Amino acid sequence: MKNGFSVFCVALAALGLSWIGLVLGPVLQLGHESLTTVLNSTDPYPIQPAGAATLGLQVYKANGCAACHTEQVQQDGVVCNVVLSAPGLHPDDVSNLLSQLDLNGLTDQEASIAAAKIAAVGGKTEIRVASTGGDMNRGWGLRRSVSADYLYDQPVQLGSVRIGPDLADIGTRQTDAKAILAHLYAPQSCTAGSLMPSFKFLFVTRKVQGSPSPDALALPQAFAPPDGFEIVPTQDAKNLVAYLMNLHVNVPLYEAPFTPSVAANK
Amino acid sequence: MNSNDIKPVPTSQVDASCRLPLLALFGGSALWLVLGLLLELTASLQFHAPGIFSCCPWMTYGRVLPAANDLLIYGFAIPTGLGVMLWVVARLGQVELVLPLVSFAGANVWHLGVLVGTLGVLSGHSTGYAWFEYPRVAAALLLPAFMLVAVSAVAAIGQRRIRDLYPSHWFFLASLLWFPWIYSTAFVFLLVWPVRGVAQAVIDWWFASNLIVVWLSLVGLGISFYLLPKFSGRPLEGRFTALFAFVTLLLFGSWLGIPQGAPVPFWLPASSILAGLLFSVPVLVVAMVCARTVCGAPAGCKGGPFCQVKFGTAAFVLSGIWTVAQACPQFAHSTLLTTFDLGRIHWQIFGFFAITVMGGFYELFPRVMASPLPLPGLPRFQHWLFISGALVLAASLAVAGLQQQSADFILARILPAFRASSLGWTLLFIGSLIFALNVFIMTIVWVVGIIKTVIGAIKAPLAVAEVKP
Amino acid sequence: MKDPAQSSTDHQENPPSASVSTVPLWIFALTLLLIFLGTVYFDHHSGWFNPQIYSPFENEAQLEAYQPKSGSAAMIARGKQVYEQICGICHGVDGMGKPGQAPPLAGSEWVNASSYNRLAHIPLMGVNGDITVEGKDWNMAMAAMGASLSDADLAAVLSYIRNSWGNKSAMVTPEDVAGVRAAIGKNPVPMSAQQLEKMPQ
Ligand code: HEC
Repeated sequence: MKNGFSVFCVALAALGLSWIGLVLGPVLQLGHESLTTVLNSTDPYPIQPAGAATLGLQVYKANGCAACHTEQVQQDGVVCNVVLSAPGLHPDDVSNLLSQLDLNGLTDQEASIAAAKIAAVGGKTEIRVASTGGDMNRGWGLRRSVSADYLYDQPVQLGSVRIGPDLADIGTRQTDAKAILAHLYAPQSCTAGSLMPSFKFLFVTRKVQGSPSPDALALPQAFAPPDGFEIVPTQDAKNLVAYLMNLHVNVPLYEAPFTPSVAANK
Repeated sequence: MNSNDIKPVPTSQVDASCRLPLLALFGGSALWLVLGLLLELTASLQFHAPGIFSCCPWMTYGRVLPAANDLLIYGFAIPTGLGVMLWVVARLGQVELVLPLVSFAGANVWHLGVLVGTLGVLSGHSTGYAWFEYPRVAAALLLPAFMLVAVSAVAAIGQRRIRDLYPSHWFFLASLLWFPWIYSTAFVFLLVWPVRGVAQAVIDWWFASNLIVVWLSLVGLGISFYLLPKFSGRPLEGRFTALFAFVTLLLFGSWLGIPQGAPVPFWLPASSILAGLLFSVPVLVVAMVCARTVCGAPAGCKGGPFCQVKFGTAAFVLSGIWTVAQACPQFAHSTLLTTFDLGRIHWQIFGFFAITVMGGFYELFPRVMASPLPLPGLPRFQHWLFISGALVLAASLAVAGLQQQSADFILARILPAFRASSLGWTLLFIGSLIFALNVFIMTIVWVVGIIKTVIGAIKAPLAVAEVKP
Repeated sequence: MKDPAQSSTDHQENPPSASVSTVPLWIFALTLLLIFLGTVYFDHHSGWFNPQIYSPFENEAQLEAYQPKSGSAAMIARGKQVYEQICGICHGVDGMGKPGQAPPLAGSEWVNASSYNRLAHIPLMGVNGDITVEGKDWNMAMAAMGASLSDADLAAVLSYIRNSWGNKSAMVTPEDVAGVRAAIGKNPVPMSAQQLEKMPQ
């Protein structure tokens, strides 16, 4: 390598290679991804978020929420759990057998063997697939996040450090908009000792005129405004909450399968 | 080595030719370093008093932190690295720096870009991509600004007297190609025609890792491959070994950066795991080259620039080991999405890059300005501040990271480590003041000197004129 | 380190040089070994650029193995689709029936019969004439629609109506439906409620 040109060529080749692999490849593979469907159904996934949620993402971005929160559910493994759906004609034999078998945390093969054993004594079973990992234990999602989850996000706010909890599934955990607003206004009022900064600047404190606004926050005494005043969220705060409540990782997809609970049908 | 017919230029003249662009680069970068560390400190106050800036959107953690991080990279690391690079290139070529005004202009536009970008992030116009937060306007300034400096650096390399390229040249040339490429890729795919969905994140990771791991390594190692042999008075041990390090650094380093557990098809993280494993090769080879160059050197380091460059290079090896360890799937799993990786990044920026570049700075600055440092004892003090600051910072973030996952998110366990990181920032901040003080005093002395000569020059003909009649 | 004052005098300082020793062979060997090990890892785990393989899955076969196929939930999900496309038009998406169009399925004794036999006959053969559902009399006609529905889909839709809107009865399997369909043969004549009641549940 005596002249600059050969150095240039080597650098060009090396960078070009990684550019093709880590830029062009993903752009072609993921950048042109289209809608998929929820596993075993024809429901399209993901659903285009409403306008408020899209605007809320901009508030999320502008205030750097991703500095402390991630939006990516992690998954360590996948297991099969065998569940009895009908005891059949010999319930005693079946319950006998059940007490001897391991029914939870099985691989797919172990599960089908267990199911076959139960079937042999007349019981009907169902094999339920479940994701495992710290995030599932914490109730932060039913499966890992996959690229389809972010199809409508602009910009995608994955985050890289969890100083606070993961928010990818916050819309499933927290269905009360008022509670999220109170949390944004005074985090310590919801979680004592929380490290989260307060976002008071997304709210207005104003004199109550006539009857109190339906939007006004209900806060514990220590955080409440003085008498005769009320705290109402700005449009930004409302959009942000709309965005958060729209975040879900709760439907199964082909690339991240699990058996949903039939709660919706009960 | 064969010299051509160009007449050698006296070294002092070579040094003096760098003065203008270097002052522009270092002046801005000193300011940004101080400001950036101040913002980092402000952000880390969050861990001591969470409610502190609740009424002021400009000071909220999520804005201050990216603004501070970007100031450290774009405000401090890149211009300082470029400054030292220009000097090394001029010295290696044994000719005066060509096109000094071009790089001077580039430096100023660069700093303008950083200013615009910082204000943009603080006012809520961040792009939302990690390490690429500056809004479009700022990005559009930074790219041409870098090109201007790069043009003058490449031109200076082209003017060299000794036609054989020295290893540092390879590293510098590659870095001059690398930055515009990665930055324009991120610019085009994230800001101009944003790609859809999670591919954005992949491009951002690729960019950030190429900037922090590859670019900083290229420039830092280029500098230490020049300074280590110079200080130790021995040749660089192994031109071909260095070449091997160079090629493997480019080949393997550029594939790093996709975190494990990312919501992307697993071949992407798997590629980074593979690259991380192979990254041990350049790290090992660099360690070997440097150790063999420095060992048995007749001159000791006595706390001066030699010490700084030695420490910085050793820190590179440590950060390399850190990178390789993080690629290991079992280990990565326990530190995923914690501050552990942030610790590595800050170690890379401060432990390795800043300290190496500071070594170069204190070596070149008195020569370039042709006057001794105003406060000769302080660089040594700064060196210790930077070492201890970088160690405390990296260690506290790493410990916090290790605690976080195993403790399953119990804040009380990670808080002490977070709070300790404030100490690291404080030490670095004090160190940065010394750097800034040196740059500014020297600049003021120089400007005053110029004004004096100008006044002298104006007065002199007058005096002659007065005599005549 | 040289004294700055000394090197800034007007002499020419020679830049450092690099020695021309060869690269130790073991470095190449190590690199090759690491490349080999890394490729083995990549081969095992990466899914070879397949866009649908995310960790913890390592290849397509594994992903297939963990698809919840036999599960009742999947069946009910499918049944919901079929129901909403076909039956819901008359019986209502909420299963409450529509006055003047079709009787309710929610809570219906025909739907929640102890076994599937009578129920499966209804869509396979059609019903007409008087029928009593939850104490109310209806007198209309429902055409046979078995021809357009596969065993699996019909089983899914029957399982769905037996497990929705408060109904809680055993699932119906595709084999069950296939059995009824075979018994009926190729001439589905709409039945009356009396005829249905004569059959085993
Ligand atoms: C064209 C409208 C229509 C469609 C479509 C239709 N039904 Fe019906 N269904 C009726 C009518 C009308 C009756 C009452 C027949 C009578 O009065 O004898 C009925 C009766 C029934 C009954 C018995 C009464 C009760 O309410 O329990 C069942 C069970 C039933 N339908 C199931 C289904 C299923 C399953 C489907 C879809 C595969 C379906 N129907 C589709 C109109 C319809």
